[in-house]
Amino acid sequence: MSGFKDIMRQSARGLGFLALVIVVGAALALAEPRFLSPASLNGIARHMAANGLAALGLTFVVIVRRFDLSIPGVAAFAGMSMGAVIAAGAPLWVAIAAGIAIGAAIGLVSGVAISRFGLPDIVTTIAVGSICAGMAFLYTGGRSIFQNFFQVGITDLNDARVLGLGVSLWILLAIYAVAWFVMQRTRTGVAFYATGENPVAAHFSGIATRRYIALAYVLCAICTVLAVLLILAESGNAETNKGANLMMPAYAGVFLGAAILGGTSVLATLGGILLITMLLDGFALMGVPYYYSDGMISLILLAGVLAFSDSARNWLNSFAMVRAARHAASGEKG
Amino acid sequence: MTMTLTRTATARPHSTRRRLSRLITNLWLVAALVLMTVMIASQRPQLLDPGNMVAILKSFSIMVMMILGLTWVIAAGKIDVSFMQVAALSNMLCAWGLSQGWGWWPAIAAGLAAGLAVGLLNGWLVAVMRLPALIVTISTASLCASLAAALGKGTVIRIATPGPLASLLEPHFGDAVPLIMLPVLALAALAWFVQERLTMGRYIYAMAQNEAAVRSVGVPVVGLTLVLFVFSGVCAALAGIILAENLASGQPMIGGPYLINGLTVVLLGGMMVHVGKPNILGTLTATLFIGVLFSGAALLGLPDYQRQIIQGALLLSGLVVAMLAARHHGERRKGG
Amino acid sequence: MAEPILTASGVSKRFGPVQALRDVEFHVTPGEIHALLGINGAGKSTFIKILSGIIQKDSGQITVAGQEVHFRSPEDAIRAGIATVQQHPELVADMTGLDNIFLGRENPRRGLLSRISQRDLERRAEALLERFPVDLDLSQEVGRMSAVEREAVAILQAIAGENTRVLILDEPTSTLTDIEREDLFSLMGLLKAQGIAIIYITHQLEEVFAIADSFSMFRGGTCVARMTVEEAKAGQVSLADLMLGEAMGDIFPPRAGTVPGEAVLELQAIALHGDFKPVSLTARKGEILGIFGLVGSGCDELAKAIFGVAPPDRGTIRLRGKVVTFKSPRAALDAGVFLVPGDRRTEGLVLTRPALFNVPLANLRRASAGRWALKRRRVQKDARTLTGDVALHPPSLTTPASGFSGGNQQKIVLAKGLYSQADVYIFVEPTVGVDIGARAKIYALMRQLSRDAAVIVISSDCDEVHGVADRTIALHKGRQVDPASGVFSRDALLMAGIMGEVAP
Repeated sequence: MSGFKDIMRQSARGLGFLALVIVVGAALALAEPRFLSPASLNGIARHMAANGLAALGLTFVVIVRRFDLSIPGVAAFAGMSMGAVIAAGAPLWVAIAAGIAIGAAIGLVSGVAISRFGLPDIVTTIAVGSICAGMAFLYTGGRSIFQNFFQVGITDLNDARVLGLGVSLWILLAIYAVAWFVMQRTRTGVAFYATGENPVAAHFSGIATRRYIALAYVLCAICTVLAVLLILAESGNAETNKGANLMMPAYAGVFLGAAILGGTSVLATLGGILLITMLLDGFALMGVPYYYSDGMISLILLAGVLAFSDSARNWLNSFAMVRAARHAASGEKG
Repeated sequence: MTMTLTRTATARPHSTRRRLSRLITNLWLVAALVLMTVMIASQRPQLLDPGNMVAILKSFSIMVMMILGLTWVIAAGKIDVSFMQVAALSNMLCAWGLSQGWGWWPAIAAGLAAGLAVGLLNGWLVAVMRLPALIVTISTASLCASLAAALGKGTVIRIATPGPLASLLEPHFGDAVPLIMLPVLALAALAWFVQERLTMGRYIYAMAQNEAAVRSVGVPVVGLTLVLFVFSGVCAALAGIILAENLASGQPMIGGPYLINGLTVVLLGGMMVHVGKPNILGTLTATLFIGVLFSGAALLGLPDYQRQIIQGALLLSGLVVAMLAARHHGERRKGG
Repeated sequence: MAEPILTASGVSKRFGPVQALRDVEFHVTPGEIHALLGINGAGKSTFIKILSGIIQKDSGQITVAGQEVHFRSPEDAIRAGIATVQQHPELVADMTGLDNIFLGRENPRRGLLSRISQRDLERRAEALLERFPVDLDLSQEVGRMSAVEREAVAILQAIAGENTRVLILDEPTSTLTDIEREDLFSLMGLLKAQGIAIIYITHQLEEVFAIADSFSMFRGGTCVARMTVEEAKAGQVSLADLMLGEAMGDIFPPRAGTVPGEAVLELQAIALHGDFKPVSLTARKGEILGIFGLVGSGCDELAKAIFGVAPPDRGTIRLRGKVVTFKSPRAALDAGVFLVPGDRRTEGLVLTRPALFNVPLANLRRASAGRWALKRRRVQKDARTLTGDVALHPPSLTTPASGFSGGNQQKIVLAKGLYSQADVYIFVEPTVGVDIGARAKIYALMRQLSRDAAVIVISSDCDEVHGVADRTIALHKGRQVDPASGVFSRDALLMAGIMGEVAP
């Protein structure tokens, strides 16, 4: 019977989340009727694609209870590298393959440094990110790369439509579907979760925990590369600051989704990033200046994490208890 | 009745070799600094020109101000990635206040108050609510960045009138040293005293090692954590105010580069005096080291991005050395 | 007799459905070294936690020097003069012994901004060492100290500055060598001479006669006996019998009665420096091999060495006749060795996850039928069958493991082991924190397992090892003790494990 209860609790969270999305959507639509226009919805889908991919990558890292702050650096270097490959006249798939290879290599360096050699995750990824951000300037010294971009067809990733929806959204959904399958339906996913939630028990169960931690960083870097690819496709050129705005929405999406849906997972991240992107685009439509957006996201993130954290609950409980005790004491005296 | 608890208590190597190795761990970064300065100066004598010296020492003072608090946060085993945006916020708030006709002192007070508020928020969320320090400070960082940009509607705010700190930024002492260095060094000296002679310094390092042990003897760990984040916020805010004076403007994007700079300096500084532990003296030396390195690199014609790569590499190698030192030290805590 | 400095009467404590302590009567007088004895789960540690303010009693009365006290926090207990040294004392590894002793008390004015005078600390340390002349280099970092030196630092930390009247030592000798133990005893003698009462928890019964003046015996959550060592000697009281009470043979399944089958696992003089000396044994199909050893005897390390967590540095392991070296648990599991670890909460289970997640965890290959994707329906069916076999209660596959009682958590680990279909099962402390009903079930399952696999039971509970195993050996301070001939009797096994002696 308790199994049934669990399922109910899970679906209750899911339903609550859907209700939240509808309420937020309705509120934004009321405040700004253009929010529900096809152009706006399409914009949401496009922005969600890039943000969602970065957030997905971060999801793997957070599942093994680590952090990755190299996302902007990796995005810059991989973006410029792909731009350079395209400018050199190579076909699009070569550029993408090169980008993925570079991302995988960077992720492997961070991952091995952290899992095998025990370096602290935060500072290591900041350092790696800084090196990558510097290396992004190697090709052009920081100038924009745009040669061959239209000929090679990268903009189709942004403009083309399949069944009425943008290609980038399909890419996002496809990759999320694969990721969901891997994390929920394969032994790799089980090993990932076990590594994050109890590395000792996972080790005692024959799971190569270090390998999964390294793999999480590799996957994160590859997802970041794909995210920046979509950004290049949207803008039609490569610049060193592309991807600078990927990290905050990614963190917000992962942690907000986890807070609302009760745990880090591919679906929770998708939900979180949907909410974040809706809010961002809604605010943009309403004419809220761009510089508020990061602040909004971080406020939402903090509020979400705080509201759903255990200590918040304990804290509130202890408040209630202290108050009750005080009440009782005054009652005794009186 | 006596015991024989230690059988190797005699014959401790109080030799000169021990003292020498101690001297090396204390001073190798200073030696490297001198060596590097001599090498660069032999190629580019402009390095030691009074004008260049003033520039180096001015940015040294601002940098030290910015990361004095960060040094202790990291020494206590926590992380703060919001300090540079706190500086940006206080910088913009100061400039914005002046543009509203507040006058300098209220503007400075507002900047400091912002740093205090963000520090309190960080500390409360980390120490009392027990949220992960990274998530908290990454959020408050972008919150501060947003507010800073919003104050100037995304652009720079010019400051027309020089303020009370202007004279401090003027060169003195043979036109090579800005006066601001003196109060900053005095503050650092005070911090050094707190770190070396008062209970707080001892608890900071003990906390990083074994928080449970420190808590079990009744040290107010929650309060200490709160104090550290507040101190970091206020220091960064002060740096932002000095920057406002120095640049005669509020710059919303000023924070960005200081993150990696600050972390590199703190961790590099942690490699001297108390090996593997960030400390004030190490931070001072490492700041000067990085300042001279970058100034020299600019004189030698290295572009900005190469410096960034060098810095990342320095940080990474610093991490490796620190970890090896810790391992050599016999610390057997598992890294995961 | 002197007035008691600390008394407890009618102290009770309940954790949910479990009555951990029932009407405990206890007292200790100044200058008395008082041993607290009892098997695991007898209530000793709960009682100690109440005395040191870590948890609060439900009912009963505690007095210190005649005054009734109510401890709400460890601070309260320390203020009342009761200092506790935990089993694994919390010290700051890269600070010196001196700095650790006075940590948090560097200056009488406590707080964050008090001056530390190193010279003053040294003077206070000298004064302390004058009272307790310990030959200890306090300028050394604690991380570089030996176990007994760390223990001494922890004791000095506990008694420094405060007017300590009662000192509680929780199993201080479990990790010490013989010589180190003598050092600790002489330090305890010094404290005793100062009039400090020492409450001293130990599993090593021979220590009681060596150092203690008196002892209290805990069994089933209450203090069943309190006597002085003289009384015990005069009355020829057997501490072991007192400790165990009447034997509880009825919860053990009948022995196999058949001839053991082929040898599955053979250890040939495997050893791990610092943990255990050469151990040789053979585990066969069709029988349960029992290893009895106290905490610190190297038992846990032996199990982990076989399982590849910390491989042995000498000797050879043969599995079904072939020499194997397991560098990781993964290799051991692949070869068919399963460990039911002693610390099931950290080593055995992902507590945040339900049985459905934990049961297939050690054999994901089976869960996915050799492919990548999991065969979810089959896993669910298997998990349901296996949790049924181990009688998991409540029989939920979706409740997080943290929501089960200790016994049922252990049953999930057992189901996980069954799912792994190993040839060798090693159980470490299989019934610590497990209630009596679940224990019987677990023993029955072991017996059942032994039909098709070699089963090794490693435990610090002598009755358990003797009751469930067909053949037993003991481990005493890392040294293997075999029976003189044939098999150990229960008493002989107890002697072998506690004293390291083989009874004729």
